[in-house]
Amino acid sequence: MLNHRDKRRYVAIMYDENAKDRPFQVNEKIGIRFKELFGVFQMQSAMLKIYDSDFGNIMIIGCKLKYLDYFLVSLVLGEPSLTVVSISGTLKKLRKNVSQMGFRNIKNNRS
Amino acid sequence: MSNLLGIDMIGIDLRNSTSNSAQENVILRMDKKYPISDYFPYLIVSDNIRSLDSKTDLFQIDPFQGKDTIKHKAKKGLGIEISIAPARKLDAPLVARWLKELKSIYIFCQSYDCQFILSSGATSINEMISARSFESILNIVGIAPGTYWRKISEWIYAKTKARWQYVKS
Repeated sequence: MLNHRDKRRYVAIMYDENAKDRPFQVNEKIGIRFKELFGVFQMQSAMLKIYDSDFGNIMIIGCKLKYLDYFLVSLVLGEPSLTVVSISGTLKKLRKNVSQMGFRNIKNNRS
Repeated sequence: MSNLLGIDMIGIDLRNSTSNSAQENVILRMDKKYPISDYFPYLIVSDNIRSLDSKTDLFQIDPFQGKDTIKHKAKKGLGIEISIAPARKLDAPLVARWLKELKSIYIFCQSYDCQFILSSGATSINEMISARSFESILNIVGIAPGTYWRKISEWIYAKTKARWQYVKS
């Protein structure tokens, strides 16, 4: 029997820090939108999972690579508005990418 | 911000522009030619079919309105833009219809030699959309992202080439 593990992608998502929703609530909303647009089976197969993030208004969600397009469409065509800032195949690399982006500057330049 | 999103060039509404100097990755969007356009690359944008004329570079269309409204006025090289922002508030069946209309507008643009443009319609940083997310929408509706980016790059280059040289001199 093949010991096959599906590839995953980890997505760093910027959310509005002034919004009332917490990251886990945002994650739930993305899941609901995913289910509405692509169905329960696809949503379960995508295996969405939220990960710890130390970057202020950045949340990290993991998803199976096969369902990445569905996930990103659910994210973009849903409320609240969210921005994908980085995608990586490993959590370690994603956190490194995000830490190099200098988010404090972007957050402060809102006007 | 454009580097973060993986996009080389961003269109900013004239009213939201805070910079006084031209930047290579910013194009101003304006409803008519203003004096500031002498110093910035710009595009004339319209969302009203009555104000659509030969000077208009970009026409914003609501996918649910249909293409019939612009069929008679669409000229070669006109950019036809669809904003993603209004689709966020739609319920799932309407989002599905929105995606279907997106494809039909793309086909319309191909047959009328217009440039299909998908835009975020963002009014704040949080509403901005990354290049990879645009590609996911294009993949879902069956448009090849590579072709889309190539064509839009050629279109922007043709639209702003002369203006860029003027701005830079």
